[in-house]
This record gives sequence, C-alpha cells and structure tokens, in this order.
Amino acid sequence: MKKIMLALLALSLMCVPAFANGQAEDDGTYKVAYIARAQADSFAAWLANAVMEEADKYDDISVKVFDGQASDDRVNSLIENAIVNKFDAIIIQPNNGESQRPYAEKVVDAGIICITTNARIAGIPGASSVDADPYEQAAVNARVAIQQIPENANVVVLKGPPGNFHADERRVSWEKEFFAKRPDVTIVGEQIANWNKDEAMALMEDWVQSNDRIDAIIAMNDNMCAGALEVVKDNAKFDGILAYGVDGTAEATLLIKDGLMTSTCLQSAYALAENLLSTSHKLLTGAESQIDIDIDCPLVNMENVDEYIEMHKRAGAL
Amino acid sequence: MKLNSEKLNHSWNTIKNKYSILLVLVFLIAVSTLINPNFLTGANMSNVSRQIAVTTILAFGETILIICGMLDLSSGSVLSLSGVLSVSVFKMTGSLPLAFFTAIFVAVFCNLINALMVTRFKAPPFIATLAMQAMARGAALLYTKGQNIYQIEEYTVFGQGFIGFIPTPVVFLIILFVATWYILNHTRFGRSLFAIGGNEEAAIASGINVNRNKVLAFVVNGVLVGIAGVLFMSRVNSGLPNGAINYEFHALTSSIIGGTSFSGGVGTAGGTVAGAFIVGFLNNIMNLANVNSYLQQIVRGAIIALAVIYDIRSKSKRDLKKLGNITEKKDKADS
Repeated sequence: MKKIMLALLALSLMCVPAFANGQAEDDGTYKVAYIARAQADSFAAWLANAVMEEADKYDDISVKVFDGQASDDRVNSLIENAIVNKFDAIIIQPNNGESQRPYAEKVVDAGIICITTNARIAGIPGASSVDADPYEQAAVNARVAIQQIPENANVVVLKGPPGNFHADERRVSWEKEFFAKRPDVTIVGEQIANWNKDEAMALMEDWVQSNDRIDAIIAMNDNMCAGALEVVKDNAKFDGILAYGVDGTAEATLLIKDGLMTSTCLQSAYALAENLLSTSHKLLTGAESQIDIDIDCPLVNMENVDEYIEMHKRAGAL
Repeated sequence: MKLNSEKLNHSWNTIKNKYSILLVLVFLIAVSTLINPNFLTGANMSNVSRQIAVTTILAFGETILIICGMLDLSSGSVLSLSGVLSVSVFKMTGSLPLAFFTAIFVAVFCNLINALMVTRFKAPPFIATLAMQAMARGAALLYTKGQNIYQIEEYTVFGQGFIGFIPTPVVFLIILFVATWYILNHTRFGRSLFAIGGNEEAAIASGINVNRNKVLAFVVNGVLVGIAGVLFMSRVNSGLPNGAINYEFHALTSSIIGGTSFSGGVGTAGGTVAGAFIVGFLNNIMNLANVNSYLQQIVRGAIIALAVIYDIRSKSKRDLKKLGNITEKKDKADS
C-alpha cells in the first residue's frame, strides 16, 4: 500500500510541471504575471480569459494567470511570489484594494512594473492602472431610471459583498444619483446577495410574498438582476417590472433583448484586457512611465443591445 | 392526584424529548405569523419549500453519512460539477434523461472517490471530502473556464416546473424524504449505519461489514447530490460553476438542527426536514421583515450554536440514563 501511495504521490508531483503556471524559462519575451481576484467569480474569470486572448496578439509578451481564490492572504502571497520570481510586470486585480496596497507598493519598490485593475488601487506613486469607474457604471443606469421609475414606486435593491470596492461604490452612486433625487421611491427590500444569482432568487421570492407591488429591481450586478427576474418572469402581477444591472454579461443582453431587463452598463472585459496589454507594452518598452486609464461605461438597453449580443457571440459566450 | 401530575409530567417529558424539534417548528411558525401576515399563506409555504428543496436533499445525504460517523464537505462543489456537466450534456444532446443521469453518475463517481479515501486509505472523512471539495470545484471551473452556461431552455422543467399544483423540486423532496426514511428505518443497511455510528468496534464485532456500508452510504449521498445538482441548475436557469458555494454547510446545519448527532448513531429523515424548515422559515421571515443582512447572519449562527449545545446536553442525559440502567441492572444482579 505504501508503495502504491508513494508511486501516486510521485506521479502527482511529476504532473505538476505539465500544468505549471509559474515563471517560464527565459525566452526573450517580457514576463507578465496577472493575479486574478478569483477564478470562481464569473466576471474575474471572463477578464482573465480575455487577458490571455489579448496576450496572444503580442509576440514579445507572455502572460501567466494566477488565481487569488477570493482571499486577501492568497492574493498577497501571489504578489510576493511574483516579485521573487522577477516578473517584468505584475497586474493585480485586487480582492480588497486596501489589503493589497502595501504589496502593490512592494512591487513598485522592487523596480517591477505594477498595474492595478478592476478595481484600481489609487495613489500608489509609480504604479499604473486600468479600470472602469464603478460609480459611473451605476450612475448611467440611475440617470435613466430617474425618468423611467414611476412616482411613489416600490423598489428592491440587491447588493454585492460588503467591503468590495465596486459593490460599495455602485450602491453609493445609486444613492446619490437616484434615491437622493427621488424621495417618493420606497425601498421595500434591500439585502446582500454576494453577486450570486441563486441568493438573489431566494431574496426576490420572499419579497414577492410580502409586496403586492414591486416596480423596479436595482441590482449592483447582472447576475443578481437575472436571479431576481427569474422569479417574476412568468408572474403577470409583475409584468413590466423595471430591472437594472451592471456588467453587460451575455445573459443580461439576452434578457434585455427579450424585454425582461431594462438596462445594464457594459464593463467590458475585452476593453479592460485590451488596455491592460497595451499599457503593459508601453510601460515595458519604456514608451511611457505611468498610465491611468478608465474605459467607457456604455449603457446597454433595447436600442443598442444587438451590437452587444454580437460582441458576445464573437467571443463565444453565446 | 399526585399520580396524575407525575403521569402528566412523564407524558410532557416524552413529547418534549421525542418531538422537541417539531415544537420548535410550530413555535417558529406561530411567531412568524404574528410578525408578518403574509407568512402563513399557501403561496409562501410553497415558496419556502421550493427554496429549501436543494439543501434538504443534500441534508438527507449528510444525515445518512453523519449517522454512520462520517460527513461530506464536498457536496456543494460536487453539486456544481455534476450540474454544469449535466447542463452541458443537455445542450449537446437535447436529452433530458441523459442529462439527469449524467449528474447522478458524476456525483456518484466523486463520492466513490471519497469512499475510497475513507475506507481503503483510512483518511478522515473531514479531510477526504475537503480534498474532493477543492477538486470538484476546480474541475467545474476548468471545464467552463469560469463562465456560466446560458440558454438551457427545457432543462428548467426540473427546477421550475409543477406537477399538479406542487413545484417539481418539492415533489423530488417528498420522494427522497420517503426513500431516506425507508432506508434508515426499514432496511438492514439503515440499521447497520446506526450501529456503525453508535460504536464502530461493536459493529465490526457483531459481523457488520463496515467498509461496504460506508461505501454504500457515499453512493446514496452521491445519488442525492446528483439530483440536487440538476434541480439547482434548472432552478437558476443556467449552469453555474461557482454556484452552491457553502451549500454543504447549509445542509449540515439543517441536519444538526434536526437532531442528527455529530457523534454518530442518532438522526432521522423527519428531523432533517424539520431542521431544514426551521432554517428556511427563519431566512424567510427575516427577509419578509426586511431584517438587516448582518443581523441575519448573527441569528443563523446563534441557532446553530443552540442546536449543538442542545445536542450535547441531550447526549449527556442519554449517556447518564444508559449508565443508570446498567448500574440498576448490575445492582439487581448482585442482590
């Protein structure tokens, strides 16, 4: 038995290099470490995939993706490993900006190019960033909702994980851009659904029981919005319910096309990836020394949804 | 008069010990009805039953495993893996039966690996299933590249359909409840599980094939997880590789609140259902009353702590009672 176990262990260890994702041997290309927040987060996974696809367009750059597993400790360890392995550039998608700040500063101190993204860690001298402004992502929806949501409406609000920069900023944006300007609107339910569709579904099922009238779903991302819509889509009592999300996922574009969802704001992983790679290239080749970019926050609604469905089809998401 | 009072006390103690979980459930229903008039309506009861169906089915598996001294920390991840593969098979073939059995096959396969680790390599179930939790989640994410699978169309019949006026997941829940109850109470396998969990060495001495029964327990758990996987993905109308995170803990909570003892040898299918309804009703009433999310977490944690304390105290009482009986018999024999 011991021999079998030892053989299996040895075999497992021998397999590791085959799947290794660490620093490759020096082949003359710039080595970039991309530290993803969590591959289990569907947007983070979309962004990581887009970064890898974009990297294929650069002959002089090779990118390695590392999974932070939604853990500050894990992300920080991966940053330290990347510094020790002497990557030429390290792109950090923080799990929690303030927790990763000292480690991002270590990257800069080590003379390695540091880029933070989704969300940016602001105010680190020498570091660059590529991001979409979470406040603006929610605001583009909130500004149209002011006109669309009826007077004295009842609304429900689905929030992302507490402490998450994008989750918090989007909620702040809805507060300032919508609720502060529409005191007639009543929030009949507001809970955390952690970006998850199934959690949002369960919450909406309960709210539907306790409220005869819900006029709008305000969700901090598309997954939660889709979950809430799943509950009311066949319920005549909630026909015409308005629903707002953020991200512009493939599912959200289909829901908009079907007339179930009102609007979302595209946080394009492709645009982020394109800018991350071009920024990396400019910094690595010395063309520029520091760059901060915000990608656009286009509103996706019935009028323009077809072009975004096409975008997802081209990317193989639909 | 004194005799009547003693009899009454005895009856009350019997009811309290045997049906305490149901008393808690009835109390919770009464309080919730007072808090919110929408609580005790047919629509809301159907709503809560639908919401708890997946975790209760997982909890049946946990109950079976805990009774024989094991547990499964991989059920949420295996649910996700079996669910996304099932959805994927449906999208490729359009066959609902094939998709359904794919989920069961995948979940049973994962549970056979768990069983192998536990019985052949003597790994503690906690560690073995923790390893499977990571492997299954990783496999689901690798297969889907972390992306959700959409447009699953007729597949939603499992989780969103109705048979008569009863939601399909609730029909599955009732059938699997009866099956679990039957296995635990009317089969040799069920009796063996209690014997193994109560005292494994005594079970071996009495000729029970412990390893075979443990493997079988994992296989039954696999079937339940596979069905839960189909219902979950169908309910959310997508294949979610990151879905059902922490569902194993929700299932464990239902099982423990329902009176299943972590020490093994004690547990019932009915108690598990009652435990699941207590959790479901609590979540439901807190949402109906729009209780703050953070406060909800505190309440859930407190309920688990109380259930575990109750379990430990009951076990101490049982042990003392057994000890008392043994001493009494010994004294009689000596005299």
